Amino acid sequence: MFRLSWNGFRERWSLFIGAIVTVCLGVALVQSSLVLLLAAVTGDAPRGSSAIEIMTFDESTTVAITVLSMTLALSAFLAVFVISSTFAFTVAQRQRDLALLRLVGGSRSQVRRLLTGEAVLLGLTGTVIGIPLGVALTSFQERLLARLDLSPSGFDPATPVWVFGASVGVGVGLALAGVLMAARRAARVQPLAALRSTGAARRSMTAGRWFVGIVALAGAGALVLLSPKGGASGGQAMAPCASICGAIALAMLAPVLVSPIAALLLLPFRGVLGRLASANVRDSVRRNASTAAPLIVLVGLVVGQASALSSFASSAKDELRAGTSADLVLESTRPLTLDVSQVQGVRSASTEIDVPIALTLGSGEDRTTESGRLLVVDPTAYAVAHPRAGSLDKLQSQTVAAGPGALGMSPGDTVSVRIGDQRLGKLPVVAKATQTIGGGAALLAPAGLVPTSVLAEAHSRTFVSLEAGADRAKVSAALADHGSVMSIERWLDDSSSEDTKTSTNILLVILGLGAAYALIGVVNAVAIGAAARAHEFACARATGLTRAHVVRTALLESVSVTAAAVMLGLVAASTSWVAVMTTTAEVTGTGALSLPWDIIAGLVGVVVALTTVTSVITSRNATRQAPVALLAARE
Amino acid sequence: MTTTLTQTAAAISMRDIHRTYGRGSAEVRAVDGVDIDFPRGSWTAVMGPSGSGKSTLLHIAAGLEHADSGRVFLGDSDITSSSDRQLTALRRSRIGFVFQSFNLVGSLTAEQNVSLPLRLAGRRPSRADVKAALSSVGLADRGRHRPRELSGGQQQRVAIARALVTGPEVLFADEPTGALDTTSAHSVLDLLRATVDAGQTIVMVTHDPAAAARADSTVFLRDGRVVDHLAGASAGALAARLVQLEA
Repeated sequence: MFRLSWNGFRERWSLFIGAIVTVCLGVALVQSSLVLLLAAVTGDAPRGSSAIEIMTFDESTTVAITVLSMTLALSAFLAVFVISSTFAFTVAQRQRDLALLRLVGGSRSQVRRLLTGEAVLLGLTGTVIGIPLGVALTSFQERLLARLDLSPSGFDPATPVWVFGASVGVGVGLALAGVLMAARRAARVQPLAALRSTGAARRSMTAGRWFVGIVALAGAGALVLLSPKGGASGGQAMAPCASICGAIALAMLAPVLVSPIAALLLLPFRGVLGRLASANVRDSVRRNASTAAPLIVLVGLVVGQASALSSFASSAKDELRAGTSADLVLESTRPLTLDVSQVQGVRSASTEIDVPIALTLGSGEDRTTESGRLLVVDPTAYAVAHPRAGSLDKLQSQTVAAGPGALGMSPGDTVSVRIGDQRLGKLPVVAKATQTIGGGAALLAPAGLVPTSVLAEAHSRTFVSLEAGADRAKVSAALADHGSVMSIERWLDDSSSEDTKTSTNILLVILGLGAAYALIGVVNAVAIGAAARAHEFACARATGLTRAHVVRTALLESVSVTAAAVMLGLVAASTSWVAVMTTTAEVTGTGALSLPWDIIAGLVGVVVALTTVTSVITSRNATRQAPVALLAARE
Repeated sequence: MTTTLTQTAAAISMRDIHRTYGRGSAEVRAVDGVDIDFPRGSWTAVMGPSGSGKSTLLHIAAGLEHADSGRVFLGDSDITSSSDRQLTALRRSRIGFVFQSFNLVGSLTAEQNVSLPLRLAGRRPSRADVKAALSSVGLADRGRHRPRELSGGQQQRVAIARALVTGPEVLFADEPTGALDTTSAHSVLDLLRATVDAGQTIVMVTHDPAAAARADSTVFLRDGRVVDHLAGASAGALAARLVQLEA
């Protein structure tokens, strides 16, 4: 069996190249994300760091771990998805070969073993190329993280040797997982299928597809309904997931959706080529679904995530604008030696000192520790500068309040706070500020709780309200010695563009490589699909079509399928749009939806361009030989 | 009508075979109550107009397709309702196939193609066995060639060697000369004749009266029914009968 696998592999390497490429890139992507995640998890702050430095290091480590876990999860998801759909398609293209094997006495289990053997070969080949590629990718991702400020300073990932072993397991495992379902289906092929040159119409919708599709669709629906009930943080976590579920659902249901939509899109083309393309599109359900599935996932995922991020960012900006009452903001990197409220012309000032902390909640098995931020505030002044935050009157010495970005904390709870190696002990939560979409500090604490040695290194921000008729320039000048002073409008713009930049960076790291990977899957499917059509193209030319006609028809088909897939991807993304609007409406009172048109337009442009170019190149390749030679040649 | 062609024990017996495709107005009775015995050690050709049910009958006889009703016997075994596993075992040892389009595995050499059924059956054929099978079809020196490096006639002879290497009770041939030029067709028919003379049973579907004339007898089908059988008829007589049936 292995020998037959090996021979098949050598003979049909061009058909398998797509499978190898997907395994190779999948291995590289997963390995690289794993190495970086390991480095982030095991990294320690440099020796001799101060309390604040240690906490800052821990905080950016947490960010890096979160981003990298998501990258790893997404890489693994896309690898499984792209590899299994490529393998399934490769297997489907060889139905006749497999039937032939059955005809000369091959059993079902031998067909399965043959395909499994091939998968191991493909997996190993892909892994051998994927491992060094992964090493290169690690240094690229590392630089990307550093450049986008998403990794802690001094982040230096080393690749432990065992990771290479893990990569072999990942490569072979992914290939095997990818081929498992396809091999089961292929083994059911009837020997008689080898005798039918056209191949009987194959069922493309399996019970498994229906099941996963409907479950994922239900999941998307549930997430849309639950997002507004999840509060600021829960809603923000659930809304982007709705489009992931939606994309999986529509990709699974692609065989019943893509062909009818694509045929509908071809309705305006009433010429001969248009009608031929439309008939082909309706007929080739399996091929269309294989091309469309990675596209649906790609568009659904990228547009869904990007829309959710940009909408929440814009909602947070509006919320911040509405929830902040001040004229000037003073940002300072040193302890303030000045009581700002005593400055001439200042009506009130809320100085907030920003301290990175490790926060422990709950007890026993439910204990969780996470990094967060604590703001040292004057409760009265804070309530004036942030009128929507609610009352903090109960906040007194040795107590804390849940901040606007607190997670799962309410008055009555007790939390432990650590800053570097300094422990502040157990503190009762006595009040809770209103939760915001934009998040923010996890805890608010009164002065006197945090040791002065720590405060000496902390940054502070002061929101200043002026008295009626006060001279803004004069007050600014008085504060200028103590830090940088800016108008509230400027500060709002700066901080929201900073937030947007961070979320765009995160999106770039998490989705960028994954999107490139999914695009390769799409190109693969288009190429495999067109390569297998040489005989069909030759028939069309023998009927009177010119080579240009054939290429144009194939292009029409390809573009209509791509358009159908993009539409379905946008439908998947729209589940997140609904979830984002209901969540922001619930939390801030105003539903917000801000679509990242540049990303959407760029993505659609790249997708259409890639499928167009691939379709033209592969259909030109498949029609290079004279049709009569192709029609006469039968293996 | 039970068409018993000779009194020797039949290699394949088919009893009251029915097979219908489609439903309603699209219903086609491909095989409509056929009773037939294919005698052992003899070469039977099956002829008939297009759509007469020749290929369906062959597929049912070979266990590639199930009949809607009726029974099929391979020697003493009733294969009518054999499982996939049992049919696989049959194909490995008791049945061989040759087709119009050769159906060789393109990635394997002639030798590897010939030894494939034995390997699938878990046997390790010796080089000499495989060589012998190839030289019996006159291709001893082509063992290392892949199908695409061989002519159509050579490919068909490799296919015959592959079908015969397991020593099957019956060799089924579906238009074995349909894709060949006359010279290649001649040599393939000579080869088949030689195997029958050595005791092989062959059931062959063909359109070609010249091919059918090389068989021991010819069965004619029309509209899924056996309508005639001729033994030892010339190509001209067979062609005339076929023209009559097609009219």
